[in-house]
Parts: sequence; structure tokens; C-alpha cells
Amino acid sequence: MTKYKTINPTTLDEALETLNGCNVMPIAGGTDLLVKFYEVYGKSLPKLVVLDGLIPLHEIKTENDRISLGPLVTFSEIENSPELRKAAPQLVQAASVAGSVQIRNRATIGGNIANGSPSGDLIPPLYVLNAELELSSVNGRRSIPIDKFFKGPGITVLEKNELITSISFDKTFENGFFLRLATRKALAISKVSVAANYSMQNGTITNVRIALGAVAPTVIRAPRTEEYLSGKELNDNVLSTAAKLIKEEAKPISDIRSIADYRREMVGVLLKRGLNGIPQSE
Amino acid sequence: METILNTNVEIKVGFKLNGLLYEKSIPANWTLLQLLRDGLGYYGTKCGCEIGECGACTVLLNGQAINSCLVLAPQIEGAEIWTIEGVADSINSLHPVQRIFIEYDAVHCGFCTPGMIMSTIALLLENSSPDENTIKTALAGNLCRCTGYVQIIEAVKKLSGIITEKDLEKFRYSE
Repeated sequence: MTKYKTINPTTLDEALETLNGCNVMPIAGGTDLLVKFYEVYGKSLPKLVVLDGLIPLHEIKTENDRISLGPLVTFSEIENSPELRKAAPQLVQAASVAGSVQIRNRATIGGNIANGSPSGDLIPPLYVLNAELELSSVNGRRSIPIDKFFKGPGITVLEKNELITSISFDKTFENGFFLRLATRKALAISKVSVAANYSMQNGTITNVRIALGAVAPTVIRAPRTEEYLSGKELNDNVLSTAAKLIKEEAKPISDIRSIADYRREMVGVLLKRGLNGIPQSE
Repeated sequence: METILNTNVEIKVGFKLNGLLYEKSIPANWTLLQLLRDGLGYYGTKCGCEIGECGACTVLLNGQAINSCLVLAPQIEGAEIWTIEGVADSINSLHPVQRIFIEYDAVHCGFCTPGMIMSTIALLLENSSPDENTIKTALAGNLCRCTGYVQIIEAVKKLSGIITEKDLEKFRYSE
């Protein structure tokens, strides 16, 4: 307990300046960080920069058809936003099934992304929404598409002195879903998840984007399945073929939460359920 | 928020707990749970898993249910906190949520009960007549290892006809 410091900045510049020092780490909701805290950092505690005081980073902003979320927006705020319910249904669905009420009240979208887990529930929806991340540091700002942010499990392109300062995407006026499987409904990390965004025109599906969680070292898109589905009428044959294709696109491993074969099989099942409009709770 | 500089190992935080203002010097790496139990002697908030899985440490932070084991003490500067100790107005007048939990035998060993009650109050603040699914979702973050869930859910259902705004108003957070 002797070499521990926390710093509570109230402006972004101050926060970025502090993050530029050595052995400094930002903390938002703390629902991932504090769980790992003593285990990982017990021997040399980093300085923690408490981000709560950075008011603008808590906002959900809309400009025309573009929505931008501050990194400190919580899962509960996403779940309860009437605007996001319309503009990003898959993101709202993901936010409302992750963790528990207590976790959702604290956990933030920025933390879910920065933590870099392939099973982070908000990430597949952000892939199919083509989200852009703004990363800031004392050296300036850069913008990066979400699918270029992750390098592997827990590994991202975020530099130690950088902060995710905004997550933005176009409102979707199309269909979307997020479905996941976990050991229990609440407080369990996803074994497998599927998010999609698509249009239906005269009975055929177009503009299909599909992302898979927890079945590869990072969240991945399923381009072959997307291409196959595009322009098709959604009938049982098409859905079965799509389910077969997407199983081949998943690259799962067996670990503490599930085995590879089950995950691969369930990717297809979740895709079919989602395209059939079956909600998470059924 | 105050900026904490240099090599201080202790920090000073100001907050409101169960309606009273506090200012307290504490180790900067304490969680809110440690502050409540070890710092202030409020042992009603239970320490279970310390990783946000069990909900035994649930308290209200600015009107919302949170796991106090996953909030760092420096993060509560200026916040409003309610724990189980603040729920009843006096020892002779239990809060309706407490009375109904007793009436419905929604307490077995009692370890999960403070957390269950705080999660129930947070739910009622948002929805004073929740249906069964809403109740189950709201309490999904609170484990009862005696598995007395049926009684707990029945108790919360019963509250929807009984609870009034007057019973809830002190817990409401206004910035």
C-alpha cells in the first residue's frame, strides 16, 4: 500500500498529461480493472487516473445521422437510451444482457473496448455498425475503425498514454440483433455471440454485416456468410447454408468456458435464431 | 474533484452516507466496501466474492445499485451512498421492503439479504410495480446460496401494491 497514488483530473488535457507519465493507468467503471487489480498489479501498483470527473466523456451526442458516445457512457445508459434503441438496436441488446444491474451501472463502453476481450459484448455490435474510435494523447488525436483496434486477446493498438475519447457510428435505419450464449443469463461471460446489421427489401436481405464474439482471438466479421446471404430470400434452405458457412468462418478454441466444437455449432444456431427474429430470452 | 498529488498514501474523500455528510482520510487503494466496513464499521454491507459476482456488497451509489467491492474509494468523492443501515428510519420502524422480506420468509441465513434489499430498492426507484421477469433481471446480480429465490421474488412482487413514493423518496438521487 505504500507506493500507491490516484489522480482525479477534471479536464481531458490534465488526464492526458498524467497518462503520459510512466506506470499510469486509467480507471473508469473498474468492473474489469479492480477484479484483476491485486492479482495482476499487486506487486507494483500503478498510479490510477480516475476518469469520472471528465464530464464531456459521459455524453451521448447526436449530429444529424451520426451518434457519438463518450467512453464513460455506461451499459445502463446505453440500455436505457430511447435514441440508441432505434439507432443501434444490437448495441442496446448487448448492453442489456451483459453482467448484472450492478455491473451495468458501472461498466463503460470505453472500458469494454479497451479491455480488448474477444468476448466483450459491446464489440460485435460496434463491428457491424462500422464504429470509429477516436484515440487521444498529448501528441494529438487519431481515428481508427473498430476492426483495426484489436490485435489479440487483451491486446490492442491503444498506446499506454492514449485514451479512447469517442466511439461514433452512423445511426442504422436497418435491422439488427445481438445474441449470445453463456453459462447463465446474468453475470456470465459470453461463450459465443453473434451481432448483425442488415436491410430487408421486398423479401430479400441486403447490406449484411455479421460479427462474431468469443470464437477467435479478436471479434471477427464473417465476410463469406455476408456475401452468400446478400440478395437472398430468407428461407430455411438459405438459413441452413448460411449457418454451415458461418461455422467455417469461426475459429474458436476450447477453454474454461466452452469447447471449440460447441462454439462453432452455436455460431450457426445463433445466426439462424437472429435472422428468424427470435429474441435473447427465448 | 480534488487532484491528489505527490506520494500521499492516504486520501481524503467527502461523501454522503445514509443522509449524513462524511469526510474521511483513507488509504487510496481502498474500495468502497472496505471504507464502509473497515473504515466506518458499517458491517451490514457484506463482503462475499470481492469480484462483482455475488452482490452481497450491493449499495446505492447516486440512486443506483452497484457492487461496492468494485468501486474505488477515490471514485466516491461527492457521491451519495445508501447502505442497509440507512434503510429503516429507526429501529422501531422497519422499512416496508424489510417488513415484507420478513413476512414472506425471504431471509434464510441472511447473508445475501442486505444486498437483496438494496437491489430491490433500486428496482422500485425505477419501477414501483415490476412484473416477475423484471424482478428476476433486477436481482440477477444477487446470489442467495440458501437458494431462497422463490420467497424473495414473491416478497418483491407483493411490494408493488404497497410501496409508496414516500417510502422511496429519501433514496432518490438529485444532482
